Amino acid sequence: MSVTTIAPSPRAPARRIPEQVLRLGIVVILIAVIIVLGCVVSDRFGTMNNLLNVYEQSTDLALVALGQTLTILTGGIDLSVGSMISLLSVLTSGLINSNGDLVLPVCAGVLLLGMIIGLVNGIGIVVLRVHPLIVTLGTGAMLQGLALLYTMEPAGGVPDGFDFLAYGRVADISVGASIVLVVYLLASFLMRRTATGRHIYAIGDDRHAAVLLGLPVRRLTVLVYTLSGLLCAMTAIYLVARFGSGQPYAGANYTLASVTPVVVGGTMLSGGRGGVIGTLLGAYLIAILNDFLNFLHVSTEIQLVVQGLIIMLAVSAYHEGKKG
Amino acid sequence: MKVEVIPQARTLIAKPASGGTARLHGGLSRYAIYLFLVLLILLSGVAAPAFLSGQNLSNLVLQTVPLAIVVIGQALVIMTGGLDLSVASVMATAAVAGTCFGTGIGAVITTLVVSLAIGGVTGLVNGLLVTKRQVSPFLATLASMIVLQGLRFAWTKGAPSGGLPPILRVVGAATWHGIPVNLFVLIVVAALACFLVHFTLLGRRFMITGGNPVTARLLGYRVDTIIIGSYVLSGLLAAIAGVVLGGYAEIVDNQVGRGFELDSIVAAVIGGVALSGGRGTIPGALAGAAVLMLAANAVLLLGLPIQFQIVLKGIVIVLAAACYVRR
Amino acid sequence: MLSVSGIRKAFPGVQALAGVDLEVRAGEIHALVGENGAGKSTLTRIIAGVERPDAGEIRLNQEVVQWHGPAQAKAAGIHVIYQEFVLFPHLTVAENIFLGRMPHNRLGFIDHAQAERRSREILSRLGITMDVRRQVRLLSVADQQMVEIAKALVETPKVLILDEPTAVIAGREVDLLFDRLRRLQEAGVAIIYISHRLDEIFALCDRLTVIKDGQWIATRPVAGMTRDTLITLMVGRDLAHLFPAHERPPPAQPEIVLQAQDIHVGSRVRGCSLDLRAGVITGLAGMVGSGRSELAMAIFGGLPMERGAVTVGGHTFRRITPGQAIALGIGFVTEDRKGQGLAMLQTVGANISAANLDSVRRGIMRDGAREWQIAEEDIGSYQIACRGPGTLVSTMSGGNQQKVLIARWARACHRVLILDEPTRGVDVGARAEIYRIMRGLAARGIAILMISSELPEIVGMSDRVYVMREGSITGFLEKDAITEEAVVDLATHDRQAA
Repeated sequence: MSVTTIAPSPRAPARRIPEQVLRLGIVVILIAVIIVLGCVVSDRFGTMNNLLNVYEQSTDLALVALGQTLTILTGGIDLSVGSMISLLSVLTSGLINSNGDLVLPVCAGVLLLGMIIGLVNGIGIVVLRVHPLIVTLGTGAMLQGLALLYTMEPAGGVPDGFDFLAYGRVADISVGASIVLVVYLLASFLMRRTATGRHIYAIGDDRHAAVLLGLPVRRLTVLVYTLSGLLCAMTAIYLVARFGSGQPYAGANYTLASVTPVVVGGTMLSGGRGGVIGTLLGAYLIAILNDFLNFLHVSTEIQLVVQGLIIMLAVSAYHEGKKG
Repeated sequence: MKVEVIPQARTLIAKPASGGTARLHGGLSRYAIYLFLVLLILLSGVAAPAFLSGQNLSNLVLQTVPLAIVVIGQALVIMTGGLDLSVASVMATAAVAGTCFGTGIGAVITTLVVSLAIGGVTGLVNGLLVTKRQVSPFLATLASMIVLQGLRFAWTKGAPSGGLPPILRVVGAATWHGIPVNLFVLIVVAALACFLVHFTLLGRRFMITGGNPVTARLLGYRVDTIIIGSYVLSGLLAAIAGVVLGGYAEIVDNQVGRGFELDSIVAAVIGGVALSGGRGTIPGALAGAAVLMLAANAVLLLGLPIQFQIVLKGIVIVLAAACYVRR
Repeated sequence: MLSVSGIRKAFPGVQALAGVDLEVRAGEIHALVGENGAGKSTLTRIIAGVERPDAGEIRLNQEVVQWHGPAQAKAAGIHVIYQEFVLFPHLTVAENIFLGRMPHNRLGFIDHAQAERRSREILSRLGITMDVRRQVRLLSVADQQMVEIAKALVETPKVLILDEPTAVIAGREVDLLFDRLRRLQEAGVAIIYISHRLDEIFALCDRLTVIKDGQWIATRPVAGMTRDTLITLMVGRDLAHLFPAHERPPPAQPEIVLQAQDIHVGSRVRGCSLDLRAGVITGLAGMVGSGRSELAMAIFGGLPMERGAVTVGGHTFRRITPGQAIALGIGFVTEDRKGQGLAMLQTVGANISAANLDSVRRGIMRDGAREWQIAEEDIGSYQIACRGPGTLVSTMSGGNQQKVLIARWARACHRVLILDEPTRGVDVGARAEIYRIMRGLAARGIAILMISSELPEIVGMSDRVYVMREGSITGFLEKDAITEEAVVDLATHDRQAA
């Protein structure tokens, strides 16, 4: 358990702009710069249609990354998200198996199962007192194995109309994308305006102090992993709606990818600093960057390179290692 | 040299480890992994006599060596308080690079030089990011993993691209009187690493730095250089492992070494290398790698579906964590 | 209001509390005094529910209570202001003050505006105006301490415990704090006040309880006590016995080994000069936070000095690194054993050789046998309780860890050894041992600089003393001029009124 020291800083000049706003500012400016550059490259880039389209492309990642943000804010990490999504997505389509009557019960069951898996993760971390990285790696491997035991191929299917989640429209954006937006706004509000939200920040900021203050550290740790599980379940259902079936490797890439928007959005891996809206913007930044590079006819491979460089740049700029 | 010492505004209330746990940490846990290893071997031997056949053992070693080489580098990085997620990417890139220079003797040398350069430069970048820019090791190596992956895909256009020069295929896949040739590579590398970590002054500096970087700075150690060095070594070892594994595979594709980044961390940690840094042994980490591979092999021997390998890996991790890995 | 009796608590290797009684009445300010390591902090943590006692009972309003965690104690009305701050550096002032009991609106959502308004109110009662939306990490230490105090005033607690609240604040802030405490006293709060500053105890408290080495010594009314009787109660043992005599008399004209001139470190050290002499123990006294540690750290190269120079071994340095300092034969025993001293997961042997790896060099190899032998020698000569050189330091008691740290530097230094609070958190047996080691090193001709907050230690051990206050050296004492009164006078000059 690490104990951070509050460095006795001499009276610093009053800073007008709160840290949080500054961080979001950087991401927003980067997005704006890309939009401006995009408009120069192509007329179509700057259209509302395209910008919304980019947002829709970022929503699956944004959803997983929301749970990841919570675990990272407490100073932990959840590396089982990819496997959870894989398992839950094959279960969704496999169990529904194109039977319309089963859609609701299966989806409810999958959401519940996601929470249960997250709960187990959280309890494991709290009880074993082992680093979350190791615990979630372990459960991740088990879940991936279970997914493959269940099926080695895309499993089952969903009835027509299930893709409403991914492609149905509310006003100008898809149902799924609007749900994500609502979830984010809700999460942001709750993080700021509930005691639980503030306590999650406090735990990540100084775990030892949180214990001394009598905050429910263990309960909140379990809570954030449970929520991460729930969000993975939502992502799994969304992916099934988008692709028509679940695949045993559907989530593999999300494990590490889910960390990227979190840190690009200004949340520190050391915990206690950052916020959920940053993550949403981070996910959008990544998507719009890729879109921009598409317009430039840059290959997807080089897009990867650029994405990596952006991470390096972002985290170097935020000075991760220095607390305060 | 930059020395950052935060003057203590308050004393830390020491939370003393309870005696029992601490003793377990000191005594039993050091040998737990070997116990685990012997148990697995016995169980496998009993469950399936075929396990102890020369053929099976030889195969097992062939498959284990690449992971074992990577684990050594990973263990070095973790001992100095870091983490290296870029190893798998380095492996694949090194292997892919090896397919581009033809088949002659010259090609072998070129391959080795280029591969090691890739590993070394990646490690250097990782180390510089971690020390000079104070990026957390997780993110720094994640970013270089992604960058390398992109570069590799761009280079190969995503398609499998042939094999390594024949001599390297011998190193990676052949046996000599039933002994896998790649085992010799491992023995050399492991012996050097053991020597470095456990028998030299530099090794001690690695450990103290990982255990308490502030102390290391106050002891006048070149902390940044030590940390950068560990990443460079990890990169070099990953490159070697990539070439060895590439030689084992018939055709080298972009996925060589996939999953090794997390597997190597797991192997090191269940082998007793503390994730917080400053504690662990090279033999322990190697035993960790062997346990992972044996567990996977046991699934096959027991005739279970191959997917059980992954489930079992998870169980091994959680079990090991529950038994003796305390943060 | 609150009474504890027969409290015992053992940590591995240390009996921290061996039967302590304490009774505090409503409307009373009760001083808890004792030397460092006497068990005050442990007792505080037990009353606050952070630690569980091995034996004994706590009664609140005559009822026996048993805490399962700090939240319960808090809910029962016990508020503690710890010496270490319980603050979250990246949360705002208002959030820190209200965390755990944030005001909320009818829907259950936090009312930040109300929290901020009430924070401002509470702080203004303490005579402070600050931007309550600022992150706490951006505040000065003194302001952080005031935020910590403000937390106690949100709701009137039943029992309030303050552990060294004035360590980092001064003057008017102290007066305002005392004023507040008296009002809480009138409101019927039971206050336990822990402080090293005897003046404060005489000025503020009604009764006092003395504990020593984990045991209850006495409970008396403050009225009618004198400084001397209190000190006798606190120390309570033969000083001559605890502080060993010189092994050989200090040289009459000792050679100057190290000279520091006009050193500046930020706002913490402002133009300090001192010199250290061979074979002499030089004390550096002053309040916690007066800049002593920073000055010593700058001399050793652990903190960059902005101005000034260090002269040692014929070289003058405007910038010095720890590596250079060690090469010149300077050692530094830090006050922060865990954070800056030992590698906790390493063995005794490894920690002892860490500063002097050349002594175990054989070519590029490390001579493991030699390292083992050195460690065994030190374990023997310093009486370090452990199972051998292979013991992990994390499994050892604080006193023995401290001896390992001293053993390391005793081997590595040949000119100067700086010891920052060498006996903090160390039990009395180990303490005498550490004093003996210091005398031995001085007899070998090493110049020793000892930083200490404990007056008896300063007076008992030092041949000469520098006193610091607020970043400056305010005085120098030698030989018979070194008395507790003289040191206190120099360290707290502007406080005499309080």
